[in-house]
Amino acid sequence: MSDKTITPREITFRVRRFDPDVDSAPHWSEYRQHVHDGMTVLEALHQLKAEQEPTLSWRSSCRMGVCGSCGMFVNELPMLACQTQVLHLGTDVVTIAPLPNYDNVKDLVPDLAPLIEKHASVKPYIIYLDQIEIDEPTGEFIQTPDQREEFSQFTHCIKCGLCLAACPTVATDPLFLGPQALAQAYRYTADNRDCGMKDRIEAIDIFHGPYQCHLAGACSQACPKGVDPAFGIQLLKRALVLDNIGFGKKKSSVAKVMPLADVVKAIDEFAPPPRTVVK
Amino acid sequence: MRETRLWSWHLLVIPIIIVLLGAHFAVMHYAPVFYGVSVEKAREFETMIERGKSITQFVLYILLLAAALYHGLYGLRGIIRELPMSPALGKIVDMSIIGLGLFIFAFGTYVTWWTFSFKIGG
Repeated sequence: MSDKTITPREITFRVRRFDPDVDSAPHWSEYRQHVHDGMTVLEALHQLKAEQEPTLSWRSSCRMGVCGSCGMFVNELPMLACQTQVLHLGTDVVTIAPLPNYDNVKDLVPDLAPLIEKHASVKPYIIYLDQIEIDEPTGEFIQTPDQREEFSQFTHCIKCGLCLAACPTVATDPLFLGPQALAQAYRYTADNRDCGMKDRIEAIDIFHGPYQCHLAGACSQACPKGVDPAFGIQLLKRALVLDNIGFGKKKSSVAKVMPLADVVKAIDEFAPPPRTVVK
Repeated sequence: MRETRLWSWHLLVIPIIIVLLGAHFAVMHYAPVFYGVSVEKAREFETMIERGKSITQFVLYILLLAAALYHGLYGLRGIIRELPMSPALGKIVDMSIIGLGLFIFAFGTYVTWWTFSFKIGG
């Protein structure tokens, strides 16, 4: 952030409104509001709702870029309202619309069902083949820092859906799995504890899968957590091609399981020091 | 079929196309260099028929036809199927593209074979 002081001022908010019970089509409403330095778009919306427009709807929760609920189309770009400071946008008119590439539920609320459905379709969980170990676990799986590093950045996804809103392929091909689901498919496929490539192939190795990506990179630019889903898609392609020609990681059994007794011992070794203040 | 297989072939045929297209250019546009005849002469019917009798040329042109058709039609399928359509319509597009490809390949093979087996003077 620059040291430049930004003078508080009045900003015009152009907000796209839509109430399916009343409106036949979305329309724009304008509101003038005093904005101070550091005020986020989400705070501005809260203030606007409290002082001017009580019926305005949007979705938000944590207010600190963790939950991924407040994705909006601010000044024609998908971003989290809670992470975007109004005065840093540098415009006297701020347009706020619901995320594109999703159906509009009401006002600024997008219908994120496609995001969740696509995410679920790639089986975003660790698939382990040893059913006995699943039913009666004898220990914990070992994963080295290097093994974790292979997919680490993709674990930061908060499922906000900004990447799908930014994706030009999703805009023309709604069936395209999209950057979020494909990056997550890679995240689990690359995990050394996972044996689920065969299970996921049916869902991802399809026409609307990774090969539909046009490499625009808009998803990576939009991601508020710094994840690079476009890169994840390329890594997934490589994994699929290697698997197809028989050079994929054959993971019929996963990383060694550390016996529970050892896990407990390890936990003891890293236990915090005893309390210094007695209650 | 797995999309990975289709996509991989789409990339794998690129070097084949480059080499065979190079050979095609050599035959058609660089005839003075490679065959010692003028470009005009190289394009004459008799010269073309004469050239077409080479088994090497027959094989190379069939290969070029197959590679170029596969590469081009895979791309065409990608463009068409990106349009909003139902999965059923997508299957129809796939089958139509396969049908079109097979038809053009059969026709191209027939023309190449016709040239290969043409008897000059009847």
